[in-house]
Amino acid sequence: MARSVWKGPFVDGYLLKKADTVRASGRNEVIKTWSRRSTILPQFVGLTFGVYNGQKFLPVLVNEDMIGHKFGEFSPTRTYYGHAADKKAKRK
Amino acid sequence: MADTRKSKNDDAYVCVGMITAPHGVRGAVRVKSYTVDPDNLVGYGPLFDAKGRLKYKLSPVGHVRDQLIAKIEGVDDRDAAERLRGTKLHVPRTALPETIDEDEFYLADLVGLTAYHIDGSLFGTVRGVADFGAGDVIEVALEEVRGKVVVLPFTKEAVPEVVLSERKLVVNPPEGLLQDEEGPGNRARRPNKSRKDSQADRDSDAVSADAVGAENATGSGKEA
Repeated sequence: MARSVWKGPFVDGYLLKKADTVRASGRNEVIKTWSRRSTILPQFVGLTFGVYNGQKFLPVLVNEDMIGHKFGEFSPTRTYYGHAADKKAKRK
Repeated sequence: MADTRKSKNDDAYVCVGMITAPHGVRGAVRVKSYTVDPDNLVGYGPLFDAKGRLKYKLSPVGHVRDQLIAKIEGVDDRDAAERLRGTKLHVPRTALPETIDEDEFYLADLVGLTAYHIDGSLFGTVRGVADFGAGDVIEVALEEVRGKVVVLPFTKEAVPEVVLSERKLVVNPPEGLLQDEEGPGNRARRPNKSRKDSQADRDSDAVSADAVGAENATGSGKEA
């Protein structure tokens, strides 16, 4: 069942504070978080979060397409890298 | 200036697929392709075993679900096809076409590179490259702490230099990623009781409850 709209999106309060602090400072700092359940809000766009997956922090640079999703969706807890074969990675 | 794009990995073989099962009675096999486009498997020329000794010439016949059905030259019956079950198919690294963009790299080239910190110190070894939906990331096993792994974004800021000819890359970890921070998992917790201890506690509680019950019973008996 979907979350009621009147409640608004769920975000852990301390994460919101951390994000505000980093945004105000203007530094490009990774915000480490264990809060995989928090929703990505529009004010997080452009910030980089380190989302814990139970072992390590995966860097998540938030863009507009991620708004409304949870942080945990971008930090899988079970990782299988598969075969490299002819796959490519692009440095942005 | 030396060509930094030319990889020393060129003499290596890259695994592109695996023969999973025979198909039919005429020696066809089912092949699982690991390439981005499954049909590319046969587009890179003849396939080899891991050491490049045995050569397999595949001609595709069709598809079954996500697998390719192919005939292999010299394999004409099911028994011969059965013997190839589990065989991994490789292509020489040189068979893969050159990347067009200078910031585009084959994962096969990146995995295993030695990572140096931007200050010149040895940082670690690249263990894997992945994209979990938030851009490509590289996993680096740290040199100074054995078993510790950090994941860095594969961006120009975090990875300013990739020199394939020297099998190395330079990393500049973003601020705050490597620093330890107190998290919910690191907080002191109440010691957990083992199952055996808690069972013993329950038993002792039960005994004391019985004793109390017995006392009450005798007490009530006396009163009566």
